[in-house]
Amino acid sequence: MSLFRLDGLTKRFGGLVAVDDLSFEVDRGEIVGLIGPNGSGKSTVFNCTMGRYKVSDGSIHFDGSEITDYRTHEVVENGLSRVSQESNPITEMPVAANIKLFTLPNSVLAFRGGATDEEIYQYAARIDLEDKLEEMPDELPHADIRRLEIAKALATEPEMLLLDEPFAGMNQQEINDLVDKFEELREEGITMIVVDHNMGGLMKLADRIVVIHNGSKIAEGSPEEIAENEAVKRAYLGSTEAM
Amino acid sequence: MSSDTGRLGGPLNSIADGYNDRFGQVFGELNGLQFALIIGSLLVLLLVPVWAPLLGMSGLLRTLALASIWAILAMGWDIQSGYTGYISFGHAVLSGGAAYTTALLIGNVNPDLSLAVTLPLSVLAALTIGLVIAVPSLRLKGPYFSLVTFVAGLIFYQLTYAFSDYTGGELGVRVGRIDFTVGGFEITTFDPVMRYYVMLVPMLLIAVTLLYVARSNVGMIFVAIRENETAVSAAGIDTTKFKIWSFVLSSIPMGIGGWLLAHFYGTVNPLNFLLVDRSIELIAMAVVGGMSSILGPIGGAFLVIVLREEVLRIFGATGRWVMLWTLILLVLVFARDGLFRKLWHYLGRLGSRDGGEN
Ligand SMILES: Nc1ncnc2c1ncn2[C@@H]1O[C@H](COP(=O)(O)OP(=O)(O)O)[C@@H](O)[C@H]1O
Ligand SMILES: [Mg+2]
Repeated sequence: MSLFRLDGLTKRFGGLVAVDDLSFEVDRGEIVGLIGPNGSGKSTVFNCTMGRYKVSDGSIHFDGSEITDYRTHEVVENGLSRVSQESNPITEMPVAANIKLFTLPNSVLAFRGGATDEEIYQYAARIDLEDKLEEMPDELPHADIRRLEIAKALATEPEMLLLDEPFAGMNQQEINDLVDKFEELREEGITMIVVDHNMGGLMKLADRIVVIHNGSKIAEGSPEEIAENEAVKRAYLGSTEAM
Repeated sequence: MSSDTGRLGGPLNSIADGYNDRFGQVFGELNGLQFALIIGSLLVLLLVPVWAPLLGMSGLLRTLALASIWAILAMGWDIQSGYTGYISFGHAVLSGGAAYTTALLIGNVNPDLSLAVTLPLSVLAALTIGLVIAVPSLRLKGPYFSLVTFVAGLIFYQLTYAFSDYTGGELGVRVGRIDFTVGGFEITTFDPVMRYYVMLVPMLLIAVTLLYVARSNVGMIFVAIRENETAVSAAGIDTTKFKIWSFVLSSIPMGIGGWLLAHFYGTVNPLNFLLVDRSIELIAMAVVGGMSSILGPIGGAFLVIVLREEVLRIFGATGRWVMLWTLILLVLVFARDGLFRKLWHYLGRLGSRDGGEN
């Protein structure tokens, strides 16, 4: 049985159908790429999954339970964590505290607890951020802020990560390093959906690629198959981006 | 830890380090000067009945007792509004609700009810009112939440007139003073010295408790909600639950403070307890001292009450209010982070130059 499943997921904003009857599955241990031109509905899929947006139609299953109507914190407690497209660290707190927040128990009586300094160091080290723990988020270069977002997501001990454009704004070296890190996370047993607007970082990384256009799935297959797919080429031709 | 090379900071720092080793994790670390400020203030407050008469300022006993109560209210507001950023403009409803509960019990049920009955019921009333306001309104963001709390304040104010058969309307209800015995020793707030301690001791206990909460995970989550609520839910934390919890943590001191204030004045009336000015005053105290710090609102409450009751009296009955609000306005414009916070950070820097940490 698959770990994660979308069944006819639909999200409407007024008259706009941002996600249109989308279905796909992700198996445990897989890395699935979700691509599509800008505005095709990728982030909306994640927002629906994370309980940020109310789903208009269809269902979302994770690890045997239906999570369609779960609230964000319940989705996270179930083992899903998302790295948003926009970084949103708490600028008043140093990197370490930003990570610690993601380890705190969801209990109003838990005055103490959460990760120890050593555990926070370990979360940061998994993504090469261990030297920046004392720094404030707004002192960090872009790539480190993105790493902080990933460290925070890892600190919730997820079974599955939803990564929204993790390579955006990074140079080739940084992209390669990040791809290696994601490979390591897969080795540790974390399942991933990686959103990107093109195939760049995904070619080597993804086991399978799902392509959406105007909210609907237009292709699904191995990276090689997708690179050759005519429908996908046409979808990208209409947009200003390269595949 | 510090290297103790400074002249002034040195010995103070080593005492402070003893504190830091034991309590730093729980209440936050201090340097020598900050430690001296806390201990100094504590001694000054505990010894008011000794030094005030010597300086011919016995009237201070009343003023500082009143300031202690307002410090409780300002801290109560701070742990909810200051920390979570959901700013309540109607917090006097909580303390006022507690005061009126005591008033109605004493006025309509039995004038001899003991504090073992009136205090818990009054705190319960504050808690109930807090939850009635919080649960539906915490979904609202920013100005809408504040507006709801403000309007709730207006409603309660009018209710005291609508039910004047019970509340005595404008004139209010007499509740008398606090009398109880501990270990055969009779405590009565008729005595100004005893009254002072009856107000001061709960204030100090509430301060320690709220500092503990504020420096704990719970305080960290409150601040994170203020700064970025979405990030907090992404951390797997139920923000609604924690926002309601902030109201609970706030309502309890508000209830205790309201009960104390009722007995301080001896009468509970709409003007002293529920007028919207009272809600704004306690916000002003918290902001003047430095909100979301717990200690700041204490400093703010003492400063505002001492100015109002002592210093600004020279400007006459209404003139002092004009002067007070003008001063508050100046602080808001020129020292938005709060005077006590500024002093605290100044001592932080001074202390570290003197050889402390940081
Ligand atoms: N909160 C929202 N309200 C209205 N429209 C939205 C909202 N979020 C996304 N959309 C619209 O849904 C479509 C898909 O957006 P999005 O999922 O962000 O695309 P992608 O991540 O693939 O670039 C876009 O047309 C976008 O304008
Ligand atoms: Mg997007």
